[in-house]
Amino acid sequence: MALLAPTRAEEAIAELLDGPEGRVAVLAGGTDLLLDLEEGKGAPEVLLSLHRLPWRELRWGREHLEVGATLPLAELERDPELARRIPGLLEAVGAVGGFALRNQATLGGNLVRASPVSDLIPILLALECEVGILGSTGERTIPLEKFLLGPRRTVLARGELVRRVVIPTLPSAFRWQRVRPANDVSQISVAVARTPDGEHWRIATAGVAPLARRARTAEALLRGRSPPEELMVSAAAGAAEEAGVRADKRATDTYRRQLLRTLVLRAIRAVPVGPTGDAG
Amino acid sequence: MIRSDSPRKVRGALEYGVDLDAPGALHAVLIRSPVAHGRLRTLDLERVRSSPGVVAAIGAAELAELLPSRRGDPSRPAFPSEELRYRGEPVAAVAARTLGEARAAALRARIEVDPLPIVAQIEDVFPEWPGSGEGESEHVNAHVLARQGDTERVFARADRVVRGKYRTAGIVQMPLEPHACLARVEEESWRVQSSTQSPFGVREDTSAILGLPEEQVVVEASWVGGGFGGKGAALLEPYALLLAAASHRPVKLQLSYAEEFELSRSTLPSTIWIESAMSGDAILGRRVRLLLDTGASLPGRDFATGYAIGFIAGPYRIGAVELEGYAVKTNKPPFGPHRAPFAPQCVFAGESHTDEIAREAGWDPLEFRERTAWRVGDETPLGQKVGPFGLEEGIARARAIRERWRKELPQGTGIGLAVGFWSTGTGAGGEVLVRLGPTELVIETVEAEIGSGSVIRGLVAVAEEISGLPREAIRIERTDTARGPYDSGVYGSRTLGALGHAVRVAVTKLLEELGRRLPGRGEVRLELLDGKCVASRGEARTGVESLFTDTERATSGMLARGRHYGRGGEILAERVITGGFFGYTDFTAAVHLAAVAVDAETGQVRVVRYAAIADAGHVVDAPTYRAQVEGGVAMGLGEALTEETLWSAEAELMNPGLLDYRVPTLLEIPPIEVEVIEGFPGAGPGGTKGGGEPPIIPVPAAVANAVADASGARVRELPLTPERVARALKLL
Repeated sequence: MALLAPTRAEEAIAELLDGPEGRVAVLAGGTDLLLDLEEGKGAPEVLLSLHRLPWRELRWGREHLEVGATLPLAELERDPELARRIPGLLEAVGAVGGFALRNQATLGGNLVRASPVSDLIPILLALECEVGILGSTGERTIPLEKFLLGPRRTVLARGELVRRVVIPTLPSAFRWQRVRPANDVSQISVAVARTPDGEHWRIATAGVAPLARRARTAEALLRGRSPPEELMVSAAAGAAEEAGVRADKRATDTYRRQLLRTLVLRAIRAVPVGPTGDAG
Repeated sequence: MIRSDSPRKVRGALEYGVDLDAPGALHAVLIRSPVAHGRLRTLDLERVRSSPGVVAAIGAAELAELLPSRRGDPSRPAFPSEELRYRGEPVAAVAARTLGEARAAALRARIEVDPLPIVAQIEDVFPEWPGSGEGESEHVNAHVLARQGDTERVFARADRVVRGKYRTAGIVQMPLEPHACLARVEEESWRVQSSTQSPFGVREDTSAILGLPEEQVVVEASWVGGGFGGKGAALLEPYALLLAAASHRPVKLQLSYAEEFELSRSTLPSTIWIESAMSGDAILGRRVRLLLDTGASLPGRDFATGYAIGFIAGPYRIGAVELEGYAVKTNKPPFGPHRAPFAPQCVFAGESHTDEIAREAGWDPLEFRERTAWRVGDETPLGQKVGPFGLEEGIARARAIRERWRKELPQGTGIGLAVGFWSTGTGAGGEVLVRLGPTELVIETVEAEIGSGSVIRGLVAVAEEISGLPREAIRIERTDTARGPYDSGVYGSRTLGALGHAVRVAVTKLLEELGRRLPGRGEVRLELLDGKCVASRGEARTGVESLFTDTERATSGMLARGRHYGRGGEILAERVITGGFFGYTDFTAAVHLAAVAVDAETGQVRVVRYAAIADAGHVVDAPTYRAQVEGGVAMGLGEALTEETLWSAEAELMNPGLLDYRVPTLLEIPPIEVEVIEGFPGAGPGGTKGGGEPPIIPVPAAVANAVADASGARVRELPLTPERVARALKLL
């Protein structure tokens, strides 16, 4: 297996288009890919590492944060603005793996692997972020919800790479539950975000269905920056019902429903009441 | 510096078993059973042999050719030829130029098996307690029954009976370094270097399995990256040696982590029932019933039930006790020892139950134990007299810590107490050779340092204490079973107790001999002056070299052999109705307190503070002893909260990896307060008691009792995962 680490995007894309399908595996941190290779899932001829591409931006705009696809999560976590402007994203990034893993893992890698147990996908869904996709004909941008097709499946075509993620700065919160708090796979994770005016709430859950998803019926129950307690409770209960929980070796469906009720409610309450982001 | 191996460990300069290599060495992979139970119809290795890079592939059919004079133990064949007893059981092995080639070749073996019915778990054969008299059942490997007093009478006159049923999970040792060895066969010498806790144990097993005379098998330990009981018997060595014999090349065999989960003999699930007959605030009697899954262990090789069951009744004054247990045969991999084998599980049941009795009656669980605890001289259910025992003092110290915590910790924090006891193992015994050279004292042993410090620091500390030499003048030299003095292994908390004694004996002999060669009277001591070993008596000082005979000068020093063959305690034969019970050598108490916060809506338990009070007997090196206590607690927290092997209905291990088998990380380990009690001497040198195992024993029980204190939820099944706690909280 050859390791290639191009410094220019065109080289990377040309490599992806060269030879038969499955010849190249893209390495953008490798914290998930390497597990597969170790288990003998796939035998690529080429590992195409993106770590030398100049794709590590972290740029704050008025209403958005733009993150380059290969920025290590640890660097995102260290950004001094994140706690104030997108608190839910900081909570989610801090929940990924352990310290060593976050030095290696990237946001782009996490999205492309589209793991059913990703702790980042729910918060990025709740924030309604957009994904910048680079191909041989240029860059296009699509909403994350459209980018994800299912577990381990995205819209990425052959010869395309995730270039960046554009994340709205919104009041938000993230909650998770695991058997072992550190460095474990979440039994449930929950993200909640709200538009600054309180007009729209968004709830996303993971660890329940084949892939993280929005809980739109529950979202619709919430209005305003500080909804009444009974509506929060109803929304949490609703989210637990519409999430499509299932049982596996990490948790039973009954327990997952209990966790959803609890964690969705906690996350709603944890969303800062005051406006954050540039609006404040 | 605390330990002389630390700098080399930090730099990665030590050669562990996984680092072993030799020029031209082949890499081996085991070919393993695809089913949990079946009859092997075909084992065809032709396609394995024709794979790229393969030099040798062997199964049962090749044994006769490789071992023409085989007269090994027929119950322990190297490879099964008929019945396959557990999934993953090695049926063949392949050696190739590279590990990748060996792995690829192993996949090409053709194995055809006629399936047989699978017993995946205890409940498949015993859905409930089977009652006495199942001893002859084909599903039972061992049956133990012992009785003290008239339990029937006391249960009949009790004013109430408290009952509990407890379940414990399978766990694995999970040392950082998996099993690994390097084998060479040259003419008559079958030589293996191995990451092992017991070179002589491996020699004995290997020679029995291969049918070779013991002297023909030579075992040398490498540095060991953790054992925790899993590296005490032969595992990979016979296969590696057979492949080396077949290929005429050195062969390296090492388990992957996934294989480590399936092949390292460890702890399997159990069900435990306890009934206590109460009258007022006294326990009149207790009945203990144990069903222990011992997997595909061979009959007659059970050690667990008769040793463990005594821990369940607890170190308490109880009028009448009945202990009964079955070692249940299933198609899981064989059971094996794991740090304080099965005691944390037993104590979880016994101490949860004792806590329940106290809480139901509204008594302070600490005070209840204080009142009921064994005192020195009490008689145990097996008829032993309790020797020097730090239990009472331990409980008194726990009371003080609890008072302080109650002031320091926030409202809602639960505090749980659990006590356990243990006995220092003796093994078959041990010997060391000690050489006093002009500039150093060398302790020669076959035993490796396995991480606890018992060899590299413990034995050195004993030599320091006896000789007067500083630690930098004392060195451990590891040797092999052909040259080295006998020892039964670094396990059972016995290293300091047995080998430490042997060091003490040998160093004392050297001092006596120096005394004969020195003028004057009084005690002889050694010291290091300007890099030289100097003997002193009173004011007189003489370099030891000048006292050597010509032979000693030529062979670099004075030699002395130290030996220690300890014995386990006697038990009253008339109490034992059936089965093999074990007597305790000494009585070591462990008194623990856990403080936890329980999330009332998710069941998540966070251990916020921990205290371990250790009945050390005598401490020869405080930092090393303390590290053992802290490590025991950390490992015990895994057993308490997260570690659990998951098995399918076909006895397949569902989580053979660190992703879903959750060993605690540093982030789950709370601040641990360690208090050491000295003054209740044990059987070791200067009164030491074994230190490696006791600190893991009460941990699951202390956590479970703390959870009950914090939330009222009584969890009777290990581990206390958030979901189990949520169920006990009646959230589900």
